[in-house]
Parts: sequence; C-alpha cells; structure tokens
Amino acid sequence: MRLLVVEDEDLLRARLVKALEDNSYVVDSASNGKTALFQAGEYGYDAAIIDLGLPELDGISLIKAIRAKGLVFPILILTARDKWTDKVGGLDAGADDYVVKPFQIEEIRARLNALLRRAAGFAKPSLEFAHISLDTTAKKLTVSSVEVELTAFEYKVLEYLMLHPGKVISKTELTEHLYEQDHDRDSNVLEVFIRRLRQKLDPDEQLKPIDTIRGQGYRFNVPANKR
Amino acid sequence: MSQPTSVDAPYSMRRRLVLAFGVLLVVFLGLAGYALDRAYQRSIAAAVAERLQLQVYALLGVAEPDGNKFFLPDLEEARFTQIDSGLYGFIFDRNGRELWRSPSALSLSLDHALMLSSKMQPGQTNYGQTSAGEQGTLAWASYRTYWEALGQYFYFVVMESTAPTDSQIEEFESTLYMWFGALTVLLSIAQYYFLRWGLQPLQQLALDVSAIESGKQDQLQQHYPSELVPVTENLNLLIKSERERQNHFRTMLGNLAHSLKTPLAVLSTALQEAKSDGEFTDEHRKDMSDQLQRMDQIVSYQLKRAVKTNQAVLARPVALAPVITKLVGALQKVYRDKATKVLFEMAAEVQFYGDESDLMELCGNVLDNAFKYGHTLVQVKASQKGKALLLEVNDDGNGIAESDRHYVLQRGARADTVKSGQGIGLAVVTEIVSAYGGELRIERSEWGGASIKLRLG
Repeated sequence: MRLLVVEDEDLLRARLVKALEDNSYVVDSASNGKTALFQAGEYGYDAAIIDLGLPELDGISLIKAIRAKGLVFPILILTARDKWTDKVGGLDAGADDYVVKPFQIEEIRARLNALLRRAAGFAKPSLEFAHISLDTTAKKLTVSSVEVELTAFEYKVLEYLMLHPGKVISKTELTEHLYEQDHDRDSNVLEVFIRRLRQKLDPDEQLKPIDTIRGQGYRFNVPANKR
Repeated sequence: MSQPTSVDAPYSMRRRLVLAFGVLLVVFLGLAGYALDRAYQRSIAAAVAERLQLQVYALLGVAEPDGNKFFLPDLEEARFTQIDSGLYGFIFDRNGRELWRSPSALSLSLDHALMLSSKMQPGQTNYGQTSAGEQGTLAWASYRTYWEALGQYFYFVVMESTAPTDSQIEEFESTLYMWFGALTVLLSIAQYYFLRWGLQPLQQLALDVSAIESGKQDQLQQHYPSELVPVTENLNLLIKSERERQNHFRTMLGNLAHSLKTPLAVLSTALQEAKSDGEFTDEHRKDMSDQLQRMDQIVSYQLKRAVKTNQAVLARPVALAPVITKLVGALQKVYRDKATKVLFEMAAEVQFYGDESDLMELCGNVLDNAFKYGHTLVQVKASQKGKALLLEVNDDGNGIAESDRHYVLQRGARADTVKSGQGIGLAVVTEIVSAYGGELRIERSEWGGASIKLRLG
C-alpha cells in the first residue's frame, strides 16, 4: 500500500514515516500543501495522512483540491485541534476520518487499515473469499480455518490483490504500490511471490484464486463472501 | 474612563442638543419677531389710511366750489390751518391743476402727479407715501369724486406726516427686541438646566461605570430612567458574565496546572529511578507512556471545557438543524462500518441562544457517544420552549450504569479524575450545559441504551 504523509513538523513526519514503513507501507512524504498536491496528482496513492495546519496550502484547502482533482483515495486528518468545529470542517472538505494529536501510532495504523478496507468496500476487518480469510488487523491468513504463515511481502501482495478483487493489477502497479521508489524492481521476484502465494492459498489447486492475465498482470478472482 | 480623542469623534450629545436648541431658538424668535413687527406696521398703516379717509370726507363735507376755486371755510380740524402741522389737504381738478390747498400746506412743495390717476373710479381712494423734503415722508390718500353741479371730476388729497407713526413703530420695535432678547437669555439658561437635568442619568452612568472600574462596586447601582434600564440591565449581565468568565478561566488554568503536576512528578521520579538503576526498563517505559497519555487527556479535556460561558447574554440565535446535520454527516463517515440509522424528531425552526461552536461541541460529544456506544440506532429529538432548547439523544447501546451517572454529571470534575470514553465527552457536555444555566439528565432509552436529555437556556 502506498501512502502519502503530509506533515510540516520534520521530527513528527520522520517518525510517522518510519513507523508506517515498519508496518509494511510504502510511504512518500511532503512538508507542505503545494508539494503534497503535486505528488497526489502525480502518483497513485492508496491513502493519505494530512496534517491540518500546513504552510502555503492549509490542510482543508489541500483536501478540497485533492478531491477537486477527482482523486478518491481515503484521507486521514491529523489535527491538534479537537473541537468538533474543526473535525466537521475537515470531514466536510472530503476527509474520511481524523486522529487528534498527540496520537499513538497503533491508532493511526488501525484507522488507516479501516479506511483502506472500507475504500475497497469491506465493512469488516477481515477480507473473506470462499474459505480464504485475511485478517487485516492481526495480519493473519487462514485457509479453511487453518492459519497459514506469510512473509511480510507476501502479505502485502495478497492484501493488495484482495482489496482489488476482480480487477487486473499490472506488475507495474503492484511494484509501485508495494516497493519503495528506489527499490530494485525485479519482476521475476514478483512472480516468485505470486507462485508461493498460490501454493499457500490453494495447495490442492482447486480454487485457483490468482489468475495470470498474460501481458497485463494478475487478478484475484474469487468472489467475496460478504462485504 | 478614557475618552475617545479621534478627530472624527462624533459631537457630544450635549453639544448636539445645544446646537439644535440654539438654532431652533434663533429661528423661532427671529421669525416671531419679524411677524409681530410686520403685523404691527400693517395695523398702523391701516389706522393711518382710515384716518386719512376720514379727513378726506371731512374736506368733502365742507368744500364749496366757486368758479375755478374751492372754499373750505368751516374746517374743523385745526391742524389743516396751522403751517407745517403735519396734516395737509389739497383739491385738484381732473388735469392736476391745484384748486385748493390747506393753510398748513402753504410751504409744501411736492410732485402730486402720482396721486392723481384718471383710471380711478369716482368714489375710489388710493393710498401711498411720498417724500416731501423738509417735511419728511408723507402718507397720502387721494379720493376721486364727480361734482354733478359742476359736471367735473376732482381729486381730494389728504397727507399726513409719517413721523409720529414712525416713532411709534420704532418704540414698538425697541420694546419687542428688548423682550425677545430677554426671552432668548431666559430660554438659553432654561435650556442649559433642562439639558443638565435630562442628561444627568448618562453622567450618573459614566460615574457608576468608573466606580466599577476602580473596584469600588460590582454592579451599576443607581436607579435609571426606563429608557436606560434595558442598557443598564444588559451591562450588569455583561459585567457579571465577564467576571464569571474570568473566574472560570482562572479556575481552569489552576486546574490545568495542578492536574499536570501529578503526572509530571511521576515522570520525574521514573526518570530519576531509571538514572539510579542505570537502565531504562519496560516498567519505566510503561510508566512514562501512561503519564504522557494522562497529560494529553488533561490538556484535551481542559481545552474542550474552554466554552464561552456567556449565558446567552446578547446572544444571537443559532439554528440547531444545520449543526446536527453537519455533525451526523461527519459521524456517519467516521462510523461508516456501523451503518448507524439516525432518526430525527425536530422542527426546522428550533434555535439555540448562544455560541455556535459551543453548540457544535456539545452536540458533537453527545452524538459521538451515541454513535460510538450505540449498536445500529441513534435518535435525535429537539424542541423549543421559549428561549430554552430541549435536546434528547438516544441510542441502542448498553447504556450508562446508574452507579456511573452521578460521576459523569459532576461539574468541574478534574481531568485526572474523569474516566476516559463516555466520561470525558459527557464531562465536557456537563461543563457547557452548566455554563448556559441548563440541565443534563442521563436515562435509559426505550432500546435499553443511553438517553441524554438536555435543557439549554
């Protein structure tokens, strides 16, 4: 999942970026509204965390501008002001949730998780497809009620595919959303991960949950149980 | 109290009134004087005309024609016979030839052409004034008559010096001016005292206010006229609420400072302990994290409590419905997973007399609790009773245990004694409700959840 973090306080931004990266997110950051608006239009993000008190272009205006560009990724507001007037102002402008400063990183992680899941249309924290269930809170995969071990990167690939079921995801999109920008992007590595995931999800090769669409990418093709 | 010294400062009320009355006085007395003077002059002129007319008739009565001349042997009016007496008589024929003049007019030389007009009807009298050298100005009456026996037209002219009437008018005018001058002085003095008397309550008000400023008294104490009572009553309310606000902030600041001291002390001892132990254990970390969380809670609670507490003094009404709609929209976004159903029972015209952000804070906290702790249902009921707003928010959650209710309703509960969750939101609500002199009750809703009932104002 690729995130955009917009915060003008350097120390807080650095800590936030590190904490989110530790949580397997790919994170870009900006220290002011103008840069953030440019980045938001330029790269496809899965979600953004925006501080309301920003220099040049304030948070509310940035959110409005992002929405005006037709970008619909979920936005989480960070605010030092926890008056309802401020919260309602941010949510009205187009944000989806808020976290009041100071915050625990676990809270940000939980809210982000919920936002990403909701954006994909899932109401519950676990993504369930036939007998496959991915718990996005505990980051656990169970297949036929049996817990299956996943590496951090396997989890990221599977979560991304499951959050976009039925949609063909190109290798480029996957690498963009799952790798750091300066990471060595070897598509062969991705194929290895997909192969391993297929084995873990469908050892009997009956369900075949991940299709390979030649020349286009991959598709998670199992219909969701209930959203 | 400092006076505004700006060059654009408006005229003082006293100056305005003095100017207005002054202009009125001058215009009124001036016009009245002019009118009286004119009326007097007219009446004098009428009296002169009447007198001249009578003298003309007197001449007519005694005139005896003799050839081309007239004889008037039995003149009763002695002034006709004394030289330069001021009363003169003439008889002219139709061509303006003088046929007779009274003995008084022997030395009089004048141009009489103007007095004789052929356009005059027989029996008509014309009046006028003419200048006659040494004799001064003369008022004249010219009467045209037809003498049947002679078959001719004649003009009978009587003139009278205006000197006596002029001096009469002068005397009248000087008396008039003297009286009007006295009247002006008298009215001006009266005006000064009237203004002083009329504006005295305002002066009293200024003194009263400066007594409050210097701390000699708490409220405006004097009895004021009914026109000022709405102002003084509101001023008293404003002063009271401002004083309460100051006390409120002082208490709040004190509470904030004191309640931060405990976690600071714990932090400090944890640090010292870690220093003396030579290592930073998980226990230390937990201690510090707990205290930081506590401090954060204290700060956010005190910030939220910072309501205006103006008790709706001079408050403009705020419509409730738009505030509720905004909040419900925002909360439905935040609690989207729950798909909470919201039932409304409120009229569009329900209003809150107070600050909009206080209303937003109050409704925000109550609704947030309802969304957070309710399962799938939130109900908002609102109605108006005079200036008071009645608000009820119900949910279908587990409700608030009766044993916890009194705890939540304590006013001014310090942040470090307020439980997080439902408690902190409702503590803020209690604070706002109390600032507006309202009432808050916690009951059980018909679905078994919490029912928060508020009366504001």
